[in-house]
Amino acid sequence: MIILSNGKTNEVAARTDDTETLWVRLGELPKATGWQMKPQGACLGDLCVPVPEHKREEWIADAEDWVWFNYSEFADLLGQKYVRDGDVWSLGSIPEVRRMGLESAVAPDFELTDRNGDVLKLSDFRGRKVVLFSWSSW
Amino acid sequence: MAQDSGDPSAINKWFDKAKPTYRCVVDPTHEISSLFGWVNVPSAAWIDEDGQIVRSNEGVYPSEVSIGFGLGKVRAGDDSFADATRDWIERGAESEHVWSSRELAEQLKPVDDDKLLAEATFKLALHFEAAGDSERALKHFAAAQDLAPDNWNYMRQGWTHKGAVYASWKILKRTADLRKNTDKSFYDPTGLPGENYRRFTETEWLWTPAVQRVKQLFRG
Repeated sequence: MIILSNGKTNEVAARTDDTETLWVRLGELPKATGWQMKPQGACLGDLCVPVPEHKREEWIADAEDWVWFNYSEFADLLGQKYVRDGDVWSLGSIPEVRRMGLESAVAPDFELTDRNGDVLKLSDFRGRKVVLFSWSSW
Repeated sequence: MAQDSGDPSAINKWFDKAKPTYRCVVDPTHEISSLFGWVNVPSAAWIDEDGQIVRSNEGVYPSEVSIGFGLGKVRAGDDSFADATRDWIERGAESEHVWSSRELAEQLKPVDDDKLLAEATFKLALHFEAAGDSERALKHFAAAQDLAPDNWNYMRQGWTHKGAVYASWKILKRTADLRKNTDKSFYDPTGLPGENYRRFTETEWLWTPAVQRVKQLFRG
């Protein structure tokens, strides 16, 4: 299946016995969603969200010789919106991450390629003023 | 930053023509607009040396421009944004155009659940567009537009999928409707000194001069 997240398209394994739920192998969770499972919970950078004790067995499950994480229920807990069509899942922004960004007014970092194929990160410009300007051909 | 879906190399002709002295990136999945809450182009943010957003606006053309859309054209922009930008670059935090923390809090607002779902839906549409699945792309473009009816990026990218002529007609029609029925413009006001807020709604249809000539003939 394909997961669209943070501007990236990630092809990951799918559970064949439950296609209605977004199950992600624990090992593929960081690549597919940005979250990483740690002892204190699921973590995205400095933000860590404990997996509710009563949900632990339900959300982290063995199936088909792998350990899977129930990402759709986790996303519901976060208030993160997602939409699915066939084997493609698209994940929206995480409200808490947006809220933290808005409160601090720190420009959210991004990584894109320029026309020569070189990677450009906004954070590389720290120490300089930046005018970020969008346009489109349409 | 060029916000264009599809093949990034397709926008090189605009980069070539602009002869930029600044870094140009391609953003085919509208990531920057998602992150900065932008709903139209052109939009811009000023980011200071510490990485703090100190201003963010839409409809910020560097000067007055005339933009053709097939059967008509619109005028947009003025010198207000370029003047304010120069002032900020020279004076930094002392510039009167830097937003206060209260203005930042008012402008950088959280978005509601519908808009969060619209964003995920729009990204799904872009995925199917890139994959050549037009039917599913159009279905999700339409759903995103319904969920976030004020987002011009979603509308214009979706309309463009149906072709440039269709997109041009839709944008001219909507801006003409705005002028006729509301006191709104295509863009939110920047509040900068000298801004010509409603300029973009002054649609000039190509047939207007011909119609005027015919009217003169009848009057004559």
